[in-house]
Amino acid sequence: MTEYIGIAVTFVLAGGIAGAMVFLSSTLGKKHPSAVKLAPFECGKDPFSLPMGRLAIKFYLTAILFILFDVELVFLYPWAVDFRNLGLVGLTEMGIFLGVVMAGFVYAWDNGALEWK
Amino acid sequence: MSRPTAADLALLVPELILVGMALALILAARRIRRGPLALVGTILAALAAAVASASATSSGGATGFGGMITVDGYARFFKVLIAASLALAALLSVRCLDREQVPRAEYHALLLLASTGMMLAVSSLDLLTLYLGVELMTLCSIVLVGITVERPTSNEAAIKYFLIASFASALLLFGISLTYGATGTTNLAAIASVLRDVGSDPLLLVAMGLLAAGLAFKIAAVPFHAWAPDAYEGATAPVAAFLAAGSKAAGLAALGRVCLVAFGPEARTLTMILAGLAALSIIVGSIVALAQTNMKRLLAYSSIAHAGYALLGLIAGTPEGGSATMTYACFYVFMTLGAFGVVIALGERGESLDGFQGLAAQRPGTAALMLLFLLSLTGIPPTAGFVAKFSVILSAVRADQVPLAVLAVACSVVSAFVYMRIAVLMYMKEPQEPAPPRFPVTMSAALVVTALVTLVGGISPGSLARWTVPP
Repeated sequence: MTEYIGIAVTFVLAGGIAGAMVFLSSTLGKKHPSAVKLAPFECGKDPFSLPMGRLAIKFYLTAILFILFDVELVFLYPWAVDFRNLGLVGLTEMGIFLGVVMAGFVYAWDNGALEWK
Repeated sequence: MSRPTAADLALLVPELILVGMALALILAARRIRRGPLALVGTILAALAAAVASASATSSGGATGFGGMITVDGYARFFKVLIAASLALAALLSVRCLDREQVPRAEYHALLLLASTGMMLAVSSLDLLTLYLGVELMTLCSIVLVGITVERPTSNEAAIKYFLIASFASALLLFGISLTYGATGTTNLAAIASVLRDVGSDPLLLVAMGLLAAGLAFKIAAVPFHAWAPDAYEGATAPVAAFLAAGSKAAGLAALGRVCLVAFGPEARTLTMILAGLAALSIIVGSIVALAQTNMKRLLAYSSIAHAGYALLGLIAGTPEGGSATMTYACFYVFMTLGAFGVVIALGERGESLDGFQGLAAQRPGTAALMLLFLLSLTGIPPTAGFVAKFSVILSAVRADQVPLAVLAVACSVVSAFVYMRIAVLMYMKEPQEPAPPRFPVTMSAALVVTALVTLVGGISPGSLARWTVPP
């Protein structure tokens, strides 16, 4: 179990520091409440609202495409770290992989997923 | 970890053919929206994959990729079966695609990729590659279920299927990780040898239960069946046929290999789990099918019952039982595709049970074909369904599971009522609706092939024996 001690220490430290900060600022800090300050904070957006607003679907399409290719390209990193040892075989495999990813990209492009309309 | 060599890749030729065709279809998607090019490509790829699988080095047992992939007789049998169900599903979907405005290239590419996953799953010797194959199959199936985006029921079915399938995948993965924790390996043969040396372990029982549950979801065995009726009903009919035939066969194959190879030494526990699944599936599938009025739901419950029957062969844990399950899977695929084929061919009318009223007066040939498939699904000689049911029930009896065998026979009688109700509607009622239009020639071809297999399998029961080599 000794190898887990480091993880346990990290957990305790992280929890302790975060807890101490919240506790200290809530007990020692000065308080001048106002309506804006008391509102729950969510990146400047009203956290509760009726779903009246409409958002164009094209934003979602772009976001999904981004996530897809982003996640797939993560596979390039381990290869890039060790590409000298992997040699020609690794290069070929990565080429095939990128070819498949690009086929998906060509499909998306060809079918107008990238048109902003 | 050794580098994959050309010899390794040679094991995956059928999969590579399917993936290559799928990629070609994806790249050309916009240009082949109309016309039969996607269908032709899919059929050719399926045929090529079947030939490549069948002609793979016949000495059997060749492994590659560090012992993760094999092409033994078991894998070859199921690969050919999967290729056949791919080709038949593609042939059957001709008219539906136009009616439902499904994009052709995408549809066929997904069929091809799902089949690739199935082939990978049936040929893997390692729990992780098996998971990978099963997951590829499931992901493509989910999109296929929801591919008719205009129909709300299709969307609903896809979402339900997605949620339950991801839950099942989590169970499967958890089972794999517990197995790895208990035995230190994910290789099926290595798991078996650890089990033989070390003996059982409570952790391993949980792992086996989770693995069995995860794979039982894939073959829709009770109590993990709830997604099947909704998914089949919501999906367009050819997709439902493909799910019922191909994905069930692949799931059975994966479950069979895991049970027979990895957990062979734990036969007692395995027998208990599988007997429970089989008994529940047979009872629930047969009885709930009685209450259905929608053909796709009825066939879904029928497929649940058939999953139970197919499991009977695995209970014994013997090679003979494995062969019985393989026989069952093969004949089941063809008779289910046949029954679904008639439903698909009748279009809107085939969706509900009432649509079959008086079919014999309007289309005697179609009604006769449907009767053949119904007889086969019930398990009446001289159809393939009888041979299949006979072999699995015999293997249950040999495994000293006589009560289970009696239950299976009794539920067969119940299911006869389900299937014969359709026959009665076809032959003894007056037609209520105008005669269906003529079938496209591809659909007729698929129906003829399935009918031939169903008949020949019933007339010469030993015809498959040479191919059903258990792992």
